[in-house]
Amino acid sequence: MNSHTITHRQLFFLIVQTQIGVGVLSLPFSLFTKAKIDGWISLIIAGLFIQFSILAIWKLCDRFPHNTIYEILPKLMGKNLGLVFNFIYTLHFAFISILILIMYNSIVGKWILFETPHWVIIFIMTAVGYYFITSSPREIARFFVIVTPLLIVLFVFILYAYTDVHLLYIFPVGQTGMLTIIKSSSDAVVALLGFDASLVFLAYSNGTPAKNIKVISFASFCITVLYAFIVFTTYIFFNPAEIIIVPEPVLYMLKAFSFSIIERTDLVFLSIWIISVATSFISYLFIAAKGVQTLFGLNDHQKGAPYVAIFCAVIAIIPNEKLEVLMWNKYISLTSLIFSALFPIVLLLIAVLRKKQEKGAASS
Amino acid sequence: MTFFKKPKKLVQTKNAPENQDSSHETNSQDSSQQTHSQESQPGGVQNLSLNEILTKVKEPFSATEDLLTHEIELPSDKSRIALLYIESIVDKQLVQSMILNPLFVTDKEINFNSFKQMASIDLKKHTEMKQVQELLLQSNTLIFTDDTTCFYAMSTPVKTQRDITEPDNETIIRGAHEGFIENLSMNLALVRKRLKTPRLTVKYLQVGKETHTTIALLYVDNIANPEHVKEVEKRIKSIEADAVYTPGNIEESIEDKPFSFFPQMLSTERPDRVAANLMEGRVALVYDTSPTAHVMPVNFFSFYQSVDDYNKRWHIGSFFRFVRIMGFFIAMGLPAVYIAIVSFHFEVIPFGLILLIKSSLEDIPYPPLFEALLMELTIELIREASIRLPTRIGSTIAIVGGLVIGDAVVKAGLVSNLMIIVVAITAIAAYIVPSNEMSAAVRILRFPFMVAAATLGFLGIVFGFLILIFHLCKLYTFGSPYFAPIAPLNLADLKDAFIRAPFWKQNTRPKDVTAQKVDNANHTRKWDKS
Repeated sequence: MNSHTITHRQLFFLIVQTQIGVGVLSLPFSLFTKAKIDGWISLIIAGLFIQFSILAIWKLCDRFPHNTIYEILPKLMGKNLGLVFNFIYTLHFAFISILILIMYNSIVGKWILFETPHWVIIFIMTAVGYYFITSSPREIARFFVIVTPLLIVLFVFILYAYTDVHLLYIFPVGQTGMLTIIKSSSDAVVALLGFDASLVFLAYSNGTPAKNIKVISFASFCITVLYAFIVFTTYIFFNPAEIIIVPEPVLYMLKAFSFSIIERTDLVFLSIWIISVATSFISYLFIAAKGVQTLFGLNDHQKGAPYVAIFCAVIAIIPNEKLEVLMWNKYISLTSLIFSALFPIVLLLIAVLRKKQEKGAASS
Repeated sequence: MTFFKKPKKLVQTKNAPENQDSSHETNSQDSSQQTHSQESQPGGVQNLSLNEILTKVKEPFSATEDLLTHEIELPSDKSRIALLYIESIVDKQLVQSMILNPLFVTDKEINFNSFKQMASIDLKKHTEMKQVQELLLQSNTLIFTDDTTCFYAMSTPVKTQRDITEPDNETIIRGAHEGFIENLSMNLALVRKRLKTPRLTVKYLQVGKETHTTIALLYVDNIANPEHVKEVEKRIKSIEADAVYTPGNIEESIEDKPFSFFPQMLSTERPDRVAANLMEGRVALVYDTSPTAHVMPVNFFSFYQSVDDYNKRWHIGSFFRFVRIMGFFIAMGLPAVYIAIVSFHFEVIPFGLILLIKSSLEDIPYPPLFEALLMELTIELIREASIRLPTRIGSTIAIVGGLVIGDAVVKAGLVSNLMIIVVAITAIAAYIVPSNEMSAAVRILRFPFMVAAATLGFLGIVFGFLILIFHLCKLYTFGSPYFAPIAPLNLADLKDAFIRAPFWKQNTRPKDVTAQKVDNANHTRKWDKS
């Protein structure tokens, strides 16, 4: 365990990179379909909500220091029920990986490689993911730190949109009503998923609990702000009548820009965005592999990794029509909402009520 | 067996030049074997007659004819002594001047005992019979006397070293123009000359059961991490082979990941580079028969540092360092990006260029990947040919390769003009790496990138870089991370990675080396503060 720990700074980058993923491209669109032009408010509210989930996750992991969710569950619910929930969680994380693959495939198939068979696109990503998860969290975290500066490039690209924005588009603020805004924030929570990676990665952190919570919370805050910025930018770039017909507003926005050295900015943006998708995928695949390790009592997660990777790739190939993709997206989003955002709070309640706590835990 | 009544006949030239210093060079080698144990062990010299001893000594040397024996009767006390040496590796003039002259030249008749006292620095007493072979093979002249319980050895190596010149493959503009040569003691002298500290430690290690290749392990005692020293020593000692010829053999035997494309030890022929790395807390291996030294543990950026950087003004040094690291990405990615653009993403080309590119590509019958492979291989062919050929023919190759092939291939319509430009830039970018090994790694790695770009476009390049960068993140050399100031990120150490910060800012040693002393006590501009 000692050589696999990560610092709290690395934990920050792990969470940031896990949170930024496929969601960012279609988020403005999906929020618009629910909350109209007030989608960005929903996103900020969602950002507030997930802070509660994060607090619950942190409290839960704090009671069981250096334990992953898979080790915590049996301790909380007894051996048998714990095993069942371990299975559910492993499957849940595997399906998030699958959802990432599906969404990535549909975007890449639509924007970059029109002719390439879908299974090739998926298998390439899975192969890369497999290569990554054969190592320790420390090395993965180091890699995530390196690629984070690329987010600045993405940010600058989007910043360029401000040469042609119309602030009037977002007015009147709050036109859809508070209730709709709050309701549609559940959609935004799905895009912000990634903080749940701390269920596993917190166990590896060697920072103090106080530092850990600051770091996770700040990571989520940063991403919420970044996403809100992106959503807001697209809303003032396109007029409300346009957004409804562009499913990936960010890309359409970038497609409109052309510089004297690069004609299609969106292709460059997508190439960098793929790295962010890959990092999210790697995180979740790693977590799923960890789950498989606990389920089958393997010595290390590397042994189960190839099976997890192949499982994800094979399942991800199944949906190939646009409607199917939407359906998968809907269901997996729903389960993620339950298991990643809500269930940790329930687990914390169980832990508090049953007074379950590992010896040596700092808080009491 | 020859018997010389008048030993002076042996002498070829009477006024033999006093070759004192060359014997000092090998002293250091002897001292490691020097044992003063007087106990007579089973392997020790027994009470045999001189003749019997000589036959016994010569036994393991089969029938080699360059092993010579000279028996001499001293004029003073009529005692007999025998000289034993291997003719080919011993400087006979040295034997004459160091052994025979003192014994006979002086008018005063001296015996062997007084000679022993006179030559006490160079003459070493041995009692172990086992050492005879080793000493003989290390260019010693052995002296056997009537007292057969011991024998004496004097180092008399023949001087076969070339001059110290600037290494051709690591030339610099400003700075020392000295390079290592094929002689260990001279190489060590070159390093010692730069690090006059008592803490510079040299450990001799021998590998190869038959070749007895000597390696010197160098480190600065109070700076280098003892774990690294121990690890390197352990790995070298574990090498079991009949023959170890080149530093490459050692490198392959002790490196961490033998399947990685990246060099995991810095090979250099520059003593100043070795000295600077030693002071950073690294460990170096210096070899006897090769001008190449190895430095370990190193990180990726060590290969991009050149002595030149530190002799320029720091902005300029930084700029060229940055250019070099850009060169890494250009050499690896440019052909791939070009292939990806012309075969997948024509849309990213700006409007003004599109007609130009289209017209240049239109008549080319081959797919871009084939075009690129063809030209890259041609460049590699030209490079290889120009290394193997003598310099006089080398210029012919340059003309044939550069002008004839480059120009004709475009005119013939096989390859587009643009591809020639891309390939040329790539080739130049690959050669600006100050380390030959790293340059080779970069050149090899661009082929997979080209294939990836030709199959998946930008996506292939991105995934290629992901795997490459992660491979670098995962790589460890002797327990320290290879991609160091970047992964794990250490902002302070970036001062000597992408840029070369001014000398007065370089006041810590790189963290990845885990040196004992991190602070290197650089306070060079104290006068400025007051």
